[in-house]
Amino acid sequence: MERRDFLKTLFATTGGFIITPSLLAACGGTSTTSSGGLVIGTPSAPVTLPINGEAIADGLPEEGGTIEILNWADYTNPEVIADFEKAFGVTVKQSIYDNEDAAIAKLRSGTLKPDLIIGMTDTALARLVAADLLQPLNKTYIDNFGNLITGLQDPYYDGGSQYTVAQFIYGNGIGYRADKIDSADLIAQGYDSMWNPAYKGRLAVPDSYRDTISLALFQAGITDVNTGDAATITAAQENLIRLREATQPKVDILSYQEIPANNRDIAYMWSGDMLLAPWNLPEGVSTDVLGFWYPEQSITANDFLCIPKGSKAPVLAHRFINYLLDNDVAIKNQSYVGYQPALTAVTAEALISIGAIPESLVDAVVDAGRYQSGQRLTSLSPEVDALWNDVWATFTAG
Amino acid sequence: MRQNTRIWTGLAAPGAAWLLIFFAVPFYAVACIAFGTIDPIFRDAVPQWNPLQWDFAQAQDVLTSAVNGPLRGVFVRTFVFVFSAMAMCFLIGFPIAYFLARHAGKRRLLLLTLIIMPFWVNYLMRMLSWVNLLSPSGLFSRFMSNFGVNYNWLDGSPITVVLGLVYGYVPFLILPLYATLERLDWRLVEAARDLGATSMQAFRMVTVPMAKAGVAAAAILIALPMFGDYYTNDLLSRSPKTEMLGNQIDYYINNSSQPQRGAILVLMLSVLLLIALSWYLRSTAKIGKEQVR
Repeated sequence: MERRDFLKTLFATTGGFIITPSLLAACGGTSTTSSGGLVIGTPSAPVTLPINGEAIADGLPEEGGTIEILNWADYTNPEVIADFEKAFGVTVKQSIYDNEDAAIAKLRSGTLKPDLIIGMTDTALARLVAADLLQPLNKTYIDNFGNLITGLQDPYYDGGSQYTVAQFIYGNGIGYRADKIDSADLIAQGYDSMWNPAYKGRLAVPDSYRDTISLALFQAGITDVNTGDAATITAAQENLIRLREATQPKVDILSYQEIPANNRDIAYMWSGDMLLAPWNLPEGVSTDVLGFWYPEQSITANDFLCIPKGSKAPVLAHRFINYLLDNDVAIKNQSYVGYQPALTAVTAEALISIGAIPESLVDAVVDAGRYQSGQRLTSLSPEVDALWNDVWATFTAG
Repeated sequence: MRQNTRIWTGLAAPGAAWLLIFFAVPFYAVACIAFGTIDPIFRDAVPQWNPLQWDFAQAQDVLTSAVNGPLRGVFVRTFVFVFSAMAMCFLIGFPIAYFLARHAGKRRLLLLTLIIMPFWVNYLMRMLSWVNLLSPSGLFSRFMSNFGVNYNWLDGSPITVVLGLVYGYVPFLILPLYATLERLDWRLVEAARDLGATSMQAFRMVTVPMAKAGVAAAAILIALPMFGDYYTNDLLSRSPKTEMLGNQIDYYINNSSQPQRGAILVLMLSVLLLIALSWYLRSTAKIGKEQVR
């Protein structure tokens, strides 16, 4: 099937929107549900992706030998992998990616041929499906599927979880040193705290243009974090420049190390990174020095597991997905990765009771309610994305 | 004579082919990406191989930004950082190269090896070590705080980035300078002294002019990589206040949906460096002529 035909099929069979760049331009480029011809589901317009190809048959035996996984660095607990190898008598080989776009390009060109992909997000899914790179899942192999929180058993980006199974969830908030910043004071300041010159030189924002520009939007009281409105985007740019001039922020994704190391006091960051911070505290320092404020208006997101079409070990890949959804395995995985498994059983109380997270970081845990009420970053059209890129380039240009 | 020419042409052919395949063709590919488009679905660069169909709209935007917009600050900052680092490299490196060439005697090889030895360690590892040393809880910062100096070196300070560049590139300046100074005809300096010149006058009027070609070569050798450097800033600062051209190229190519802009910046930087290189070639040719005369 040609890509063009495939996209036509998508258009005909999905509930989401498909808008080409020219149509988007004619509409003023403000759609939040499409991206240059891609089908993008949103919470208000979920999509059911068309089945392209067949899932593996029921009851097949596991393949032996090796299963190759494409994964972010340090994104699965090595002990969890070792346990899986022991349980199934196989070897797990990992390839690492650090950029979804680059990984998709390598998958398309055949440079990477993994059996299982870990950690991609919904914005990548649209392109993986458009490139016909994924195979539908057979959930008879995934007994633990029901462990997922309800909202993620039928996610807006892949209705019925036909191609993907959610793995970790997280939300954006403000991590801080509770021994230097009073919690009540920080909550009173809210997002304004990121503009507070008192934290100059000891503050950071993530090196992620979507997240950081969204911070500027939230601070201005705007909740449309996928906006294509040029005036709103310009206002966000001005707001970010104000932040830059007031606080001289670092722009990186190292706050999970730098806050516990006492090298910075406050950072806008992913909750999963903050849950990893206690493991980076110097010996003898109490976890009480770490704090996290979860804003009422925030971004929530999740990643997922999926199986590429050319997988040489699809049964094992299904088994691995099922394994990661086991409550005990998921918690073991969380203790290394920091990020929170998207399982109903993984509550703040459960994590605290087994010592996986300290009480001081209870606010960094995303429950089903928070996940549902959070704003989602969806894929932007090329025209709108270019505007966001310009804001980021201007901000980082100093 | 004609046979000699043929032999040399034959010997030069593999090198010329190498340059054509691994420099000219990739350079053309960068231009094709810079003036091409992007795939609206996959956001990959789509090179436009036909120069007649090149689209210069993005280039115009980048040029406008470089002249009048946010990129102007990045260009200015990059030049200031590189020239400051070069000046400091010369202040540190020239006396060392001079000492090695003139006064090191039998210990010359040992000293040269000792100077170069730390630089056998990977550049990234050395920079990461500095990050540990300079962090507020690091050894160096804690040591300095004993003397009342509480400076946060890693808070996005331009000084730290310039010092990082100096640290990273100074050995690449010392080596060519040493090679030049070591081959100078020092009898000319002695002659100048015999004719009544002070040591400073002899240095200024004899040594420096004779070492000009080496100085230019060393300057070019460290300036070229420094202009494209992005990891020194990434590791030691990561603040918008120290953003260099290499960081913007990295962002546009690796993390944005406008890789053409990264390619355009590469071309702009190449043109600037080409100008610098032309100056070097011209000045060395001139020096050569003067020396023949």
